[in-house]
Order: sequence, then structure tokens, then C-alpha cells
Amino acid sequence: MASTIPAVPTRPRTLVIASAFGTGSVLMYFGGLFALYFSIRADTLAWGSEWYPEGAIQLVPGGMNMATLAMSAITMAWAVQAVLNDDRVHAMIAMALTAVLGIAMVNQTVFYFKDIGLPIDSSEAATMLYVIVGSHLVMVAVGVLWLGILLLRTLGGQDTNRHRDLVSAAALYWYAAVAVYSVIWVGIYIAK
Amino acid sequence: MTTTDTAAAPDSSPTVLEEAVTSTDPNTLSRVWGFGGMTSVLLGAFAGLLVGLERLGLVSADVFSSADEMFQFWSAHRVALVLLGVLPVLMGLATTVVPRQCGGLLLFPRAAALACWTWLIGAGMTIAGFLADGGLGTPGGAGQRQATALTLMGLLLVIGGLLLASVCVMTTIVSGRAAGTGLRDLPFTAWTMLVAATVWTGMLPVLAANTVLVYVDLRGRPAVRFGAEDAIWEQLSWMFTHPAVYVLALPVIGIALDVLARATGITQSNRDVLLVATAAFGFLSFGAFAQTFFDTPGTPIREEALSVVAAFAIVPVVLAILGGVADTLRRGASNLGSKPPAEAVVALVAVLLVVVGTVIGVVHVIAPLDLLGTAVEGANFTFVVGAAVLGVGAGFHHWGDEIVGPGARPGLFLLGGLALAFGVVLSGATDLISGLLDQNDFTGVTIAAAGYPGSGVDALNLVSMVGSLAVVAGLVVWMVAGILHMATAQGVSVRNTTSEKGAA
Repeated sequence: MASTIPAVPTRPRTLVIASAFGTGSVLMYFGGLFALYFSIRADTLAWGSEWYPEGAIQLVPGGMNMATLAMSAITMAWAVQAVLNDDRVHAMIAMALTAVLGIAMVNQTVFYFKDIGLPIDSSEAATMLYVIVGSHLVMVAVGVLWLGILLLRTLGGQDTNRHRDLVSAAALYWYAAVAVYSVIWVGIYIAK
Repeated sequence: MTTTDTAAAPDSSPTVLEEAVTSTDPNTLSRVWGFGGMTSVLLGAFAGLLVGLERLGLVSADVFSSADEMFQFWSAHRVALVLLGVLPVLMGLATTVVPRQCGGLLLFPRAAALACWTWLIGAGMTIAGFLADGGLGTPGGAGQRQATALTLMGLLLVIGGLLLASVCVMTTIVSGRAAGTGLRDLPFTAWTMLVAATVWTGMLPVLAANTVLVYVDLRGRPAVRFGAEDAIWEQLSWMFTHPAVYVLALPVIGIALDVLARATGITQSNRDVLLVATAAFGFLSFGAFAQTFFDTPGTPIREEALSVVAAFAIVPVVLAILGGVADTLRRGASNLGSKPPAEAVVALVAVLLVVVGTVIGVVHVIAPLDLLGTAVEGANFTFVVGAAVLGVGAGFHHWGDEIVGPGARPGLFLLGGLALAFGVVLSGATDLISGLLDQNDFTGVTIAAAGYPGSGVDALNLVSMVGSLAVVAGLVVWMVAGILHMATAQGVSVRNTTSEKGAA
């Protein structure tokens, strides 16, 4: 091959860059779902039809989840900062708190959807609601698992200022999860 | 390595299967992607041939028992060529060629292996779903729901595998290239692969979103809308039509530019123009917005300004690229000699077919001609995907010795490539004329379903079928050439190993 240049790759932060590409794909997935949701919703409302039945979507559970995830974004930033400062105790506390807040969000959503009284096959809106919120639950669950692995690594002293890429990558993913939920909160829970 | 590793038994070397399954070597992964993908291309072409046979006699159902069955094969033809065929073969080439061009190693090799096997398992499930009377829905709703669900699940795995592989390739280019090598310094194959992979990571998740929506609605209860049998294909079909299919041709342009530069011994002039043009080609190929299923009544997305402008804008871009190719050929013609390399000939034909495909794309969006939904769409698909198959074949032949080992068969490769190109032109041109005569893209099994009953496209369908036959024949020749190449390389490898042991 004419253009082969044998050399060792030296560019750092490959994990963060790969995570950015992966997170970008996840955002495109949600972008696709949101585009369909808002397009169908606009058409339905334009024809004068009902999107969700009156009172089906409550503002409080969505608001609580948004507050929970907003707090988790702060604790995630705390974790990144603690790792940067080689502060293992604070890093572990921050990661554990972030994971607990993620689990709390999943718990609140599952509780709400058991109580919602909106069967998945009742309308296009309900089907899309379950697909979007369900997909986001999976995203948060993956983030919690990732945080669990990070916690174990931190316990073992592997997440340090010199080896912080995995934490930065997880933080990027987590912030994306919070950003996606903010669209769900505004577009579904508030705008209904 | 620890000290205990040194006492390995002499017969502990892995078998070919063990090596293939456990290896993270880019060359091995490339062979799995390549062989699996080309098998799918062949299966897809064969499905297209069966559909062509049915179209010979639209009065009666001779090959398939119903329109639904024919639709399953027709849609399988497109899925097999795009998601199970060309894309994975391109990924195979990228897995091994791109790291070398970047002067580094493939990053995340275990993730790349996971991607490859995820794709392969997904491809198997997708094919099984189609064969079990499932597929991606049917117009009459007579398919098996469980098999349709299997197809959708397989498709999700395929998408997941392709996305993970794309991330590995992009990260290798962005973060793993040799120090001092800028993005502008990259060879065209690596550059176009970066652009194409960026577009794939934008489009494939949207396809996954469509698929999840369909799957959730399909399972367990009567479908609300998205999972209805007669609605599934239309939600996913944007991936297999203009403009999304163009992105398959983008790495092929890069391959052609590199192959021709090597064959002529000439470095492209106006390199920056070509870099910008190929990037523009990639971003004009983004087709996730063109989802006809979700059209607002009265404003079909295919007739809106965005679609039409994108279709027109890509033509000058591809002509600029063609100009670059022509300039390289003009300046290096004397170095080609009387017998140019087979891969250079095939790559050049691929670029010409891409140009033809994009021009047909323009013709089919001109509103007064009213060609949307006609066989012109099929012609556009045939030219672009045919070009992609030719180009990727040229790439594998060009770098084959490095991927597989010595033993390429240029004569067989050229024969297969020319048969394939002949078939693509014949099939695509007749589909174009049939479309202009109002034959539908999916013809069904009756004259009524085929479009305008008096269009008299029977003779054209016969010629198109001959083209499909030539495509299948060309692919079979390529498969034979590939198997012979691998067998020769294996023989050389065994001889070398034996002589090394003897010398020891």
C-alpha cells in the first residue's frame, strides 16, 4: 500500500472520542423518535383530534424526574472534578450518588407508568410515549451500569487524573441522557 | 506473556473456525465481513433475479404464489444488498485498510470483533425471518407476525453491529492516526470512509428508531399503526432509496481515487477540491428525513424543496469528482499501458455508474414527470448499489494480497466485474425506460398492480431479467475468484510454515 506510514498512534483520549461518536448515535436515535413524535402530534392536533386523553399525562412525575436527573448531572460533574483532583473518596461518593439518582429516576418512571392508565395500544401517542420513555430508561440503565463499573475501578484506584478518560466518557454519555430527558420533559410532560 | 506460556503443545494452534471466532485481527475480521457481505450480495441478487422472472409474465403468478410472497423477495433483495451486503463489505475493507492508511492500528479491536459477529448473527436472523414468511411486512398482510418480528430483531442487531464498527473506524481515523498526519493528508479511502461513517452513524440510529417503533407495535396485540403488516416497509424503505443509498457509493469514490492514483502513478491535483466534494457528496446523501410514511397530507416529502434541491445539488458535486478522476487518467494515461490493472478498470466503471445513478435521481424528482414510485426509483437503486458493489470489489482486489495473502486472480476478477457492470447497466436502463412508461417500482404479480396496463413493458422486463442474470453470474465469478485466492494464499502460508519448521 503506497500510503502506509508505520507508526504508533499517539493521540490520546480515544475513549472520549469513541464515546462521543457512540453518544452521537444515541442522540440521533432519539432525534429520530422525537421528529416522528412531534410530526405526528402536530398533524393530529391540526386535524382537531385528541393526542392524549385529558389528565392522562401528569406534570409532577415528569418534573420530579427532571429534577432528579438535573441533580445527577451536578453529581456527575462532581465525580469528574474529583477524579481530576485525584480525590478518590469524593469520586466514589459522587459516582454512587449519580447512580442512585439514576436508579431513583428509573424507579419513579416505572411506578408512574404502572399507575398511568394509558394502555400502550390505546393510540399512536401512547405507543410512541412508551417507546420514547422506555428507550430512555434503557439509556439511563446503561449509564448506571457504566457508573457501577467506574465505581469498582475507583475502589481499585484505577480512575485517577492520569487515567480519567473512562470517567470523562461516562460523563459525556450521562449528560446526553439528561439532555434527552429534558426534551421528554418539555415535549411530552409539559406540552402534552 | 508469563513464563508458563512458553510450554505450549505443538498441536495447540487454533483451527480456522476458532481463529475466525476468537480473533481480533483486522485481516481476519475483514475476511468475515467480506465473505459474509458478498454472500448476502449474491443472495440479494438472486432474489432480484427471481423477482425479474416473475415480472416476465405479469398475467399469472408463475414463480411466486402471491403478491405478498413476491414482495417479500423484492424487499429482501434491497435489504440484502444494502444492510447485509454492501455496507458490511465496506466495513470489512475499512477495518483493515483504514488503519494502515492512517499509519496506526485499529482502535478497539475487541469492539470491532463484537460488531462483526453481532452483524453476522443479525444477518442470519434477518435472512431466517424472510425465509420463514416474515420479512418487513407485506401489502396483503399475509406474512407470519412472529417471523416478521424475527426479521426486525435481526435488523436491529445488524444496525447495532454496523454502528459499533463505524465508531471503531471513525475513532481510528480521528484519534488513532499517526502523529503529524492531518485529516487533509489522509488517502481518499480513509477520508471518504470517515465521511460515510459519520453519515451512517447519523442515519442508522434513525432506522433503528423506526424499527423499534414497528417492533413494539407489532408484538403481542393488534397493531395501532406502525406495526401493521402493510405499513412496515414504507417506514423503513427510505434507507433503500434516494438519497440514502448514495452514501454507499461514497467510499467507492474514495477507493476509485486511490486505485487510479496507484495505477497511474499520479497524485491527484486539486486535492482539496476533491476532499470538499466528497464530503459534500456524503452530507447530501443524508436521507433519514425522506420518510414518506409520515408525510403530512398534501405535502409529500419527496416533492418538497429539500428533497429536490438535494437531488439536483449532488450532480455538480459528483461531476466535480468525475473531473478529478478524468484529470488523473489524462495525466497518467501513459503509465497505464495497454493492459491497465483490472481493479482500475472496474473502479472507473463504478464511478461512471455513480454519475449515471445521481442523474437518474434528478430525473425522478422532477414533479411534472410524475416518476415517484415508478421503476425509475428501482433504476436509481440499481445503478448506485451496482456501482457500490463494483467499487468495493475493486477495493478488495486492490488490497487483497494484504488482506488474504498472495494469489489474486485478475483475469477472473475482470471477467466477473465486466459481467456485473453489463448486468447493472442492462437492468438499470430497462428499469428506467419501464419507469418512464409508468411501470411501478414494486410491480406486484398482476398487470393492474404493475402500473399502466397498456405500457407494454414485457420486452423490457425480459431484458432487465437478462441483466439480473448477468449480475448473478458476475457475482458467482467473483466468489469463485475470491475462494481460489484464499485457497492459494492458504497454500502459500502452509508452505511457508512448513519450510520454516524444516529450517528450524
